[in-house]
Amino acid sequence: MLTSEHAIVRFERGLALPDRLNRKSDGHYVDLAEAMLRVYAEGAGLTRRDLHRQINRLFDEEPCDARRIASFCKLLDDASTFHTDSGGKAARLRLKVFRLAARKHPLVTEKQGGTLLGELENEEQEVKQEIAAELGMTWEEIDEALYADVMQFHRLKTPPDYPDAAALLSHYNVSQTQAALYKTQSATLTAKEDFKTILRYVKLAGLLHDIRRVDESTYRIQLDGPASVLRTTSRYGVRFATLLPALLTCKGWRFAAKIKTPWNTLATLDLSPESGLKSHLDEPPEFDSSVEEGFAKKFGEERDGWRLVREGAILNKHQKTFVPDFVFRHNDGREVLFEVVGFWTPEYLKAKLETLKAFSDQNILLAVCENEGAVEVFEGWTGQIIHYKTGIKLGPMMEALNIFSPKGT
Amino acid sequence: MPTTLTYNEGTLLLHGLSPKGIVGLFAKDVWKWDARVGLFRTDAFRYGEVAEILREKLGTSFADQVPKPVDLQWPKVDLHKPRRDQAEAIDAWLSSGGRGLVVMPTGSGKTEVALHLMARLGVSTLIVAPVRDLMYQWHARISAGLGVEAGIIGDRLHKPSAVTVTTYDSAAIHMNSIGDKFGLLIFDEAHHLPGGFYRDAAIMSAATLRLGLTATPERSDGRHVDLDWLIGPQVYRRKLSEAEHLAPFETVRIPVKLTDEERECYDSASLAIRTWYIEKRNEKKDYDRKDLLAEANHDIEARRVKNLMYLKESIEDRADEKLRVLEDLFRLHPQERVLVFTGSNAMAIDISRRFLAPTILSHTMKKERQAVLSGFASGEFPVLVANQVLDEGVDVPAAKVAVVVGGQSSTRQAKQRLGRILRPDGATRATLYEIVCEETREVERSRKRRRSDAYERTRHRKV
Repeated sequence: MLTSEHAIVRFERGLALPDRLNRKSDGHYVDLAEAMLRVYAEGAGLTRRDLHRQINRLFDEEPCDARRIASFCKLLDDASTFHTDSGGKAARLRLKVFRLAARKHPLVTEKQGGTLLGELENEEQEVKQEIAAELGMTWEEIDEALYADVMQFHRLKTPPDYPDAAALLSHYNVSQTQAALYKTQSATLTAKEDFKTILRYVKLAGLLHDIRRVDESTYRIQLDGPASVLRTTSRYGVRFATLLPALLTCKGWRFAAKIKTPWNTLATLDLSPESGLKSHLDEPPEFDSSVEEGFAKKFGEERDGWRLVREGAILNKHQKTFVPDFVFRHNDGREVLFEVVGFWTPEYLKAKLETLKAFSDQNILLAVCENEGAVEVFEGWTGQIIHYKTGIKLGPMMEALNIFSPKGT
Repeated sequence: MPTTLTYNEGTLLLHGLSPKGIVGLFAKDVWKWDARVGLFRTDAFRYGEVAEILREKLGTSFADQVPKPVDLQWPKVDLHKPRRDQAEAIDAWLSSGGRGLVVMPTGSGKTEVALHLMARLGVSTLIVAPVRDLMYQWHARISAGLGVEAGIIGDRLHKPSAVTVTTYDSAAIHMNSIGDKFGLLIFDEAHHLPGGFYRDAAIMSAATLRLGLTATPERSDGRHVDLDWLIGPQVYRRKLSEAEHLAPFETVRIPVKLTDEERECYDSASLAIRTWYIEKRNEKKDYDRKDLLAEANHDIEARRVKNLMYLKESIEDRADEKLRVLEDLFRLHPQERVLVFTGSNAMAIDISRRFLAPTILSHTMKKERQAVLSGFASGEFPVLVANQVLDEGVDVPAAKVAVVVGGQSSTRQAKQRLGRILRPDGATRATLYEIVCEETREVERSRKRRRSDAYERTRHRKV
């Protein structure tokens, strides 16, 4: 990840626009990125400083912000491995060498022969050769190893694992957007799909949410951190930045972050799947299990007036959330939440039951697997339940669905 | 259901009290209703105040679930008896309920005051210092004075323990996860605390005991007034004028010449930069460095000029001649400990590789740092190279000779710090050498300026 020092953000009419390279106006960056990757691919054994100098030279004819070049260096470094001397070898060598040299202080270029002062001096090259002999190395080896632990002198071990230039450029774009997000105070996420993935990563990022249903299929999720209710703060900016890659794998959302500008005003950073940012993470699987997938196929889109929507609703109460696998929506307005309970550990099943109980005032239908003790755990469930062995059968399913009475009755 | 108080990520949550039930218990605005979790929430720094009210008003139906700070037994307390002013500071802080600011001049033993209080209180403690050097110094003082190896949060380490040292940066970043672990917070150089993000280090902690130490509480932005609620009121103040006198030292300024090669490089860079400014000022009268830096972001020529500017600085910083002058200074003081301060890591390493002298750089790890500092104090290492005039209060062993390679010694703080490092030896005064490049137009101009004021008594000498 980049740091906030790398962030290049333009602010225009209340909008925050992170630096972005696009195919049309920045087409020549493909060549630049290829050249950068070549520098690293051929740079095993070179120091960070030398690699960065070479990268800088590639930009000699490219008018751009120096932070852009620094960002590329950082991204390339992050994806590479370096000899970092984590065991403290260089530090031990230094103490050894400096202790030997201390007795010969001062090391002079040339002795002032004959004077009393000359007696107290030692010639630099002579002393260095003596120390080298004592340590059984050449002086050149010692000189190279002496500060090998200093960041800029780390030597490249393996080059970055970007598959191609496009991957580096797309990672640059995502990283600049993340760096801009470090100054986020709060954000609003409007979502129509992939609720499970979104909420899972919101929780992983340590953000709190306030969820409102906007219409039948749309939710507005207000995101910020614990202390945000007490005062505005950008201390949770990093959490928003870590959320971004996961969000980019999802469909049907709009994200609007409130970003603190250098003038202490607020600007909006707008994102959606159409923003053209690509995540390095995989897209979430469409179905959690083959049972769900088989059922969705069997049911089709609509049956007896019931439409089937995958992850179509969010239940939410004080940070406890539940996204049922499916929602059935009837033409007459009825809505039934359908959750498939499969093979899981007893602990997981118990936790799931507790969550479901918090929402027992909702129309919930459970399909519980007959194996693995799930049936036992869900004896505590007072709502509607059907059981299945290998696949969910439509007959009992439709019967159970129609037990839920139409709206208002 | 009893009313409970819990710690949550730098805040407090109140469970079991409805918006109605809370009326009349607290002053307005203490609690905020947090609809996201369906509970009242407030900042953790209010813990002492709200817990007391709840205990008083609700009695046994109140359950305090904020973790109690750990009590400590010190294995071996080895502290000097406090001096009179230190004892006064200790009493003043204790009698004001264990919250407040102690203002004493640097070098007058603020750390001692804190260690005595830690010894007396025996409670889990977090010490927040401005920089890593100081953090490690606290670590060493705690080990020597209280016999405890403190945990460290910062410098890429995250090892919290019942006594932990950290920096403002790390404290602010991590306080949401450690804010319920300590009973006592100590803020060293506390005037840093009210600045921007740092204050989270105080706001997000539930510690009820808070000690701030500083010589200069006032801030130019006026935000020092917030120290009142972040730490506590000023409970003790000893004026600077009562402090011991700083060691007087002599400043010797040594101008160096660039080598022919450096000179050529430097002059052609200067020329290119001048030409650029002249042309630009035809278009825009007040075109300056800021305009150049902005233009460099989208113009190749401007970027070249900007890089030439950096090149000039680097030539000045790392001029070869400086190494030769250093050689002569080491010759001049062969039997004395010499401290060398540079303006950059690169120059510190240049010097170290040339003279095989140990360095203290910003990223030097604890073990090496301690070996180098104690080696310098004992005389094992005759020279110590640091990449800056070491930060306020760092325990640098005293020396009679210091060399500043570059111009950073001219600030008032640097002078004060050098004043504490440089100690006279019997009748001979300590000496500060400043090595600066001459015959760069800028430097000459600035020297003329300086001659008129602060540098009046500085001797200029060719070595």
